[in-house]
Amino acid sequence: MRHVLWMAVFAALTAIVFGIAAKGDERQRFMYGLKVFAEFIVIAFLLGWILYFIPFR
Amino acid sequence: MVANRIEKDRDTPTPARAWLVGLIAWAAPGAGHLMQGRWLRGALAGGAVWLMFFVGLWLGGHMYALGGGQQSFGAVLQLLPMIANVGIGLPYFVCWIANVGFAEHAQLVTYEYGNTFLLVAGLLNYLVMLDAFDIAAGRKR
Repeated sequence: MRHVLWMAVFAALTAIVFGIAAKGDERQRFMYGLKVFAEFIVIAFLLGWILYFIPFR
Repeated sequence: MVANRIEKDRDTPTPARAWLVGLIAWAAPGAGHLMQGRWLRGALAGGAVWLMFFVGLWLGGHMYALGGGQQSFGAVLQLLPMIANVGIGLPYFVCWIANVGFAEHAQLVTYEYGNTFLLVAGLLNYLVMLDAFDIAAGRKR
């Protein structure tokens, strides 16, 4: 659970900076930041499940 | 239309103040926006970068320095992560002088997380610095 928390903190902080550096009006930037955050989380969970089924041992 | 805008931007000289803003934005995350009166942007961007930096240190991450005890090619491999770490600005040099955050704590579970937080904090500050520079140069609102 702690790993997911740190991943979410990382995604949130990165999304804030990406949203600020993006072009457009405030609403567009906010939506972009939200999109980046959602992408981080969704891709992380997808990769997590893919790796779960790969036998490493 | 975009080509015309790029051509116009290229012809417009960059004001000297923009370089100063860029330097200050690099040295202290968020300060470049704050000195231009962009309070919310400065607080959010600077706050995110500072928080990421301190969380990285707290998680036991370490910063890279050229050499760093490595020999020959190993020292060269430290260059890229060092460039990322230096992006945080003055805090990197303060930590370097105080010898804080340069020791490896590989035994910690969160060690790699800390490293990633520290590297990305520096890289994000480069982005924040460029944003502040563009605003000062009049290329961005």
